[in-house]
Amino acid sequence: MLDTHRDSRAAPLLDAQGVSKSFGSTQALVDAALTLRPGEIVGLLGANGAGKSTLSRIVSGHIQPSGGEVRFRDAPLRLTSTRDALRRGIALVAQETSLAPDMSVLENIFLPDLATPGRLSYGGMRVRAREILSELGHDHALPLDAEVRTLSAAQRQLVEIAKALALDAQLIIFDEPTASLSTTEVNLLFDVMSRLRDGGRALAFVSHRLEEVFAITDRVTILREGRVVAEDVKTSSLSQGDIIQHMVGRDIGAIYAKREVASDDIGDRIFEVRHLRALPWVGDISFSVRRGEILGLGGLVGAGRSEAAEAIWGLRPRQGGEILVGGKPAKLRQPADAVRAGLGFVAEDRRAQNIIPDLSVRENLMVAQMGQHRGFGRGYGKRADRVARLISDLGLPADRLDTSLLNYSGGMQQKIIIARWLLTEPDILIMDEPTKGVDIGTRSSIYRMLQAAADDGLAVIVISSDFEELLGLAERVVVISDGVTIADLPADRLDEEKLTLLAAPRTSTARNQALLADLSRLHRADAFWTLLDDDGLICLAHAGHPDAPKSGLAAGEAMDFSQTMIEQALRTREPSFVAEPDGSRQTLLVQMTDKRGHDMGWIGLTIAGDAVPPDPGDIRVELQALTDETKEP
Amino acid sequence: MTDTVQGAPEDRDAAATDQRASGSIGLVGRILRSLEIRMLGLALLLAVILSLLSPFFLTERNIFNILDQSVVIGIVAVGMTFVILTGGIDLSVGAVFGLTGIILAQALQVMPIPLAIPAAVATGAGIGLFSGLLIAVFGLAPFVVTLGVMAIGRSLSFILSGQRSISGLPPELDAIVYSTFLGIPANVLFLLGLYLLAWVYLTYTKGGRTIYAIGSNKEAARAAGLSTMFYSILPYVVAGALSAVAVTFSLAQIMSADPLAGNQMELDAIAAVVIGGASLYGGRGSIIGTLLGVLIMVMIRNGLNLMGVSPFWQGTAIGSIIIIALLAERLINWRSNRN
Repeated sequence: MLDTHRDSRAAPLLDAQGVSKSFGSTQALVDAALTLRPGEIVGLLGANGAGKSTLSRIVSGHIQPSGGEVRFRDAPLRLTSTRDALRRGIALVAQETSLAPDMSVLENIFLPDLATPGRLSYGGMRVRAREILSELGHDHALPLDAEVRTLSAAQRQLVEIAKALALDAQLIIFDEPTASLSTTEVNLLFDVMSRLRDGGRALAFVSHRLEEVFAITDRVTILREGRVVAEDVKTSSLSQGDIIQHMVGRDIGAIYAKREVASDDIGDRIFEVRHLRALPWVGDISFSVRRGEILGLGGLVGAGRSEAAEAIWGLRPRQGGEILVGGKPAKLRQPADAVRAGLGFVAEDRRAQNIIPDLSVRENLMVAQMGQHRGFGRGYGKRADRVARLISDLGLPADRLDTSLLNYSGGMQQKIIIARWLLTEPDILIMDEPTKGVDIGTRSSIYRMLQAAADDGLAVIVISSDFEELLGLAERVVVISDGVTIADLPADRLDEEKLTLLAAPRTSTARNQALLADLSRLHRADAFWTLLDDDGLICLAHAGHPDAPKSGLAAGEAMDFSQTMIEQALRTREPSFVAEPDGSRQTLLVQMTDKRGHDMGWIGLTIAGDAVPPDPGDIRVELQALTDETKEP
Repeated sequence: MTDTVQGAPEDRDAAATDQRASGSIGLVGRILRSLEIRMLGLALLLAVILSLLSPFFLTERNIFNILDQSVVIGIVAVGMTFVILTGGIDLSVGAVFGLTGIILAQALQVMPIPLAIPAAVATGAGIGLFSGLLIAVFGLAPFVVTLGVMAIGRSLSFILSGQRSISGLPPELDAIVYSTFLGIPANVLFLLGLYLLAWVYLTYTKGGRTIYAIGSNKEAARAAGLSTMFYSILPYVVAGALSAVAVTFSLAQIMSADPLAGNQMELDAIAAVVIGGASLYGGRGSIIGTLLGVLIMVMIRNGLNLMGVSPFWQGTAIGSIIIIALLAERLINWRSNRN
C-alpha cells in the first residue's frame, strides 16, 4: 500500500540534521543528516571512514554527538546510553552481535528484562518469543533453548532482531548485517526486513554492497568524509555508477574491468590439489590452476573453502590428498614449506592472520621475504629494486614506512599484505576474501593488482563469498559445497543465480538428488537437473539408469547443447517428450520455480526412443508438489 | 591513466591517517616518542638526584661499582628480554643460576676452567631447551612450565651441593672479573659486548625480527612463513645459557657457590625488562631499554646504600619505580592515541 502512495509519505520518525562528532582532533562527522520514516528502509551508504557507523552509533545512543539536532517523534532526542535508546524504541543490530554466547536464545531475546527486578515468567517469555519469531516468519527456525554459541551467524542475527522487537523497537538500524551471511541467508534477512517495513517500522540499512542496497532499500542517504552528499534520495532514481560517484567523490569507472586473456597467455598447470581432506570442514576438494590464470573458489561461508586454503598452507592438519606444484608432489607441512615451494597466501582475517601489529609497515611488507631468505640476516637488501617499485606502486611515501600498519585503511593494509607476497616472487598466490573490509574506492585497485599479477604469469586463486566479485575477477570457478568440489566451470557460463544454486548446501539438494534417483528408477530414464541458457547448460545433478540411453549430461559440468545427446529437446523445450532426430531417445523437460518465482532450473528425463512415455502431466504435478514442500521449514 | 586512478585514493588515505597518527608532532616530539630516550632521561634524572643526595655517588670508583654490580643481573636480563619479547616469561632463571653455579663449582674440582664453564653453560642451555620444548611443542603456559622448572632447579641445587656452599675454587677464575682492558674491567666489557651483540641480533637478523613477530602476532608470523617453532624455543635456551654465564661471573667474584644463589633473581630480571619498556604481552621492547632498566635498578640500590638507608626500603623504591614507569607509559600512550 505504501508503495503506491509514495507522495503521501509518513511524517519522519527520526530526523537528524547537521550532526557533527569529533574524536580528539579527528572529525568523524562534519555535517551529517538522516531521515527515517515508518514503513521505509533507508540505505545509509559511504566508503570506509565516511562516518556511517558513527552516525548509526549516535542515533542508537552508543555515543553522543558534538553538535547538530536529532529529533525523534517530533521532539528533540538526547540519548545518554543504549539502554535509553532501547527504552524509546531505537535499536541497533550490529555486525558483531552483542549476545551472551552461553545463554539460551530465549534468555538473550529478553536479556534487557533480566536486568529488571522481580521474578521472571519463563512461560510468558516463551509465548512472547514465539509471537515475535512468527512475526519474523521464523517461528520454527530457532530453538528457544539452544545456547547462542551453537547458532550460525544468520541465526544470531535473528536473535538480535527478536531482541529489538521484544522491546517493541520502532526504529531499527542494521549495521552491515550481511557481511558474514551467505546469499541464501541474506535473502532470508531481506524477507525479515521487508516484513518489518510492511509492519510500519522505520529501518536503516548500513552497507557497502551496492547490489543489496538496490535489492532492499527504498531511499538512500550517502555520506562522504563525514558530510552528507545525497540525502533521502529515491533508490530507484539512482544507478550503481551514481552511488559510487557520490561515495568516492569521483567516477572510478567499472569496478570489475574484465581482463583480456588470450588463450596462449595461460600457461602450464602449475598447481594442483587432488582429493584434499582436512576434517571436519574439507571432505574431498580437487582443483588445478595454470600460470596466468585467475581461479575462483566459490561457495557459501562454511563450505570449506578457507579451511581448504589453510590446510594447503599447513595451518590445518590434512588427513589425505595430494598437492602438486609444477607437476611434482609437494610436501607442505608448514607455511615455511609452502613459501619455499613458491606459494603465497593472504588469509581471510587480516588482523588476526596477516598483520603483525608491532612491526612497522616496512617490516610487515618484508616479512614473507625474510622468512623465505636462507641466511642469518634479514635479507632486506635482496630485491631492493622490486621493493622500491612496489612501494611506489602502492602510493606509499617512503617516510611513512616506519609507522604502524594499523594506522592505515583496510584497503591499504590489504594492498601491503598482497605486496608482501608479491615480493617473494611466488608462482601461485592464494587470496582469501581479497576485499573483506575494504571500501569500494579501493576495491578496484586491489582487483587490478591481482589481475596484473596474473598478467605477469602468476596463478591466482581467489576465494570469495561475494559471487559478483568472484565472477568479475576469475576466469574459471570451482564450486565447493559442504567440503566437496561440486563443479569446475568457466566464469562466463555462470551468473550469480546459477552460482547460488550450484553452491547450495548438499543437505538442501539431497531431496532433489533422491527425486532424480526415484524418477530414474521408476521410468527407466536418465534423469537430470540442469540450468539452461540459449545454447548452453550447467548440470546440477544427474542420475543414470542402465536401461536408459545417455543424455550426455554429468553433474557439475557445463556444456553446449550440441555436445549433448539431446540437443533437439533442449532447444525446443516442449511441454511433452521430444524425440531426437535420430529417434534414439526422447526427453521431457519440466521447468522448476520456487514460491517466490525464482528460476530453479529444469528437471529432465531421457528415455529410449521406442519406450512408451509416461504422462508428462503426472510428472509435472509430482515435481511441483516437491518444490513447494522443500520451501516449507 | 591507470596509475593516477590507482594512486589517488591512497595518497589521500595515507595523508589522512598520517595526520591522525603523528599530525602535530615535530622533531622533539618524535624523539620523546622513542621509549629508549625517555628511559635514558629517567636514568640521568635519577643519577642527578642521587649525586645531589650523596657526594660519593658520582665518583669514578662508585660508577665502576655500579657497572660491576650490573654485570650479573644485566646478563640474566638479556635472556629475560628475549623470552618476554616472544610474549613468554621465564621464572626459572634464578634457580638455573643457583643450580649451574653448584655444577660449575663441582666441575671445577675435576676439570680445567675452559671445560668447566662450557659444561655449566651447556647445562643451563639444556634446561632452557627443556622448558622451551614443553612451551612451544606442547603449548603449555610459560608461567607454569618455568614455575615447575624453578622448583626442580632449586631442589636439585640443594641436593647436589649437600645444602652447603662450595668453596675452594681455582684462584685463576677471578681473571674474568679482575683483568682490565683500557682501564675497564673485563666483566663490564663483557656485559657491554653482550648487549651490543643482543641488540644487533634482535634488530638486524631474521631470528631477532622473528622473535618480535612471534610476540606481536604468532599466528600471522607463522602464516607468513617464519619458523615460529624454532624461535619460540630459542629464547628459553638463551635465557638458561645466560643464567649459567652470569653465575660464572658471580662465582669468580665471591669464589664460592651457594645453593640459594640467585634466589628471586627472576623478579629483578623481569623488573629490569619491564622498566626498560617491554610489554609483557610480547612484541614490544628493546635490549637498550633493558640495559637502562638494569642501571636504574642498580643505581637505586647503590644510592640508598650510600645514604645509609635500610636495605629493606630498596624493595619499596624499586617497586615504586616499576609502577611509575608503567603508569607514565600508559599516560603517554593515551595522549598520543588521542592525538
